[in-house]
Amino acid sequence: MQISTQSRLLLSWFGLSAVTLLAWWIGAHHGTGPLKPDLAVAFGAIAITAVKVRVILREFMDVRHAPARLRHMSDALLALFIAALTTAYIV
Amino acid sequence: MTKAARDSLSRAPGKAGVGTVPSTPGQPDMWILVLIEALTFFSYFVVYTYSYKANSVAFLEAQSHLNLLFGVINTLILLTSSWSIALAVEKSRNGNFSGAIANVWLTVGCGLTFLALKLYEWSLKIGEGLYFSSNEFFSFYYFLTGMHLLHVLVGFIVLGVAIYQLSSPRRRSQEIVETCATYWHMVDFLWVIIFALLYIMR
Repeated sequence: MQISTQSRLLLSWFGLSAVTLLAWWIGAHHGTGPLKPDLAVAFGAIAITAVKVRVILREFMDVRHAPARLRHMSDALLALFIAALTTAYIV
Repeated sequence: MTKAARDSLSRAPGKAGVGTVPSTPGQPDMWILVLIEALTFFSYFVVYTYSYKANSVAFLEAQSHLNLLFGVINTLILLTSSWSIALAVEKSRNGNFSGAIANVWLTVGCGLTFLALKLYEWSLKIGEGLYFSSNEFFSFYYFLTGMHLLHVLVGFIVLGVAIYQLSSPRRRSQEIVETCATYWHMVDFLWVIIFALLYIMR
């Protein structure tokens, strides 16, 4: 089944908004008292961000219709960034 | 095959691109700018994350002074602005130029709301005695959000160019409209990362 580009953009916006609310829930439900380091929250935030950035690139910026080199380069750059961020958090 | 011919093939109105010829949205120069900006901000983000983990007690104490709701609302506003400018590109492709202009204006409205909320949030923090020099976390907070806000301000000029292009049949260039949209989407995805690192990460 094909959907129109406008419907696809609307679905992307819904999805991005929904995961933003999920990130809010993750950030807000951190228990009581002072904030503490939390590996699950940090990795959850980074993972949600990776998904959001990829959806913005693919759907809003139309990278999914772009030549293969731009598609692959954007995916490689995002993967490299997430790896660097995760490493900076772990070390 | 010329760029215009590829555009006409790859941008079938309202379709999801089945059987189309790949084409870079907008001008390649803008993608080079996006790459440079992304690498610059990514280096800031990695340095921030490293500093955060190295001084986690002090960072977490300072971070507790941020209001998560401001971050969530600003993220939803910028996502809406990005969706709207993507719609403007699609409507322009389909020849619905008045609809496209309305969507660009909606993007401008979202950008102005983001700007007003960010300045209000800054004023609240300054009112609480939290300045750039108060601690390392707030140095990063003002630096990252300030650099981003600078890009939002440039974005208003870029959106103005899109409206100028769309408002007259003599000037309409799909490529320039797509170029302007690409810049604004970059502003959006940079904020999405800033939101996660400053407001959510623990």
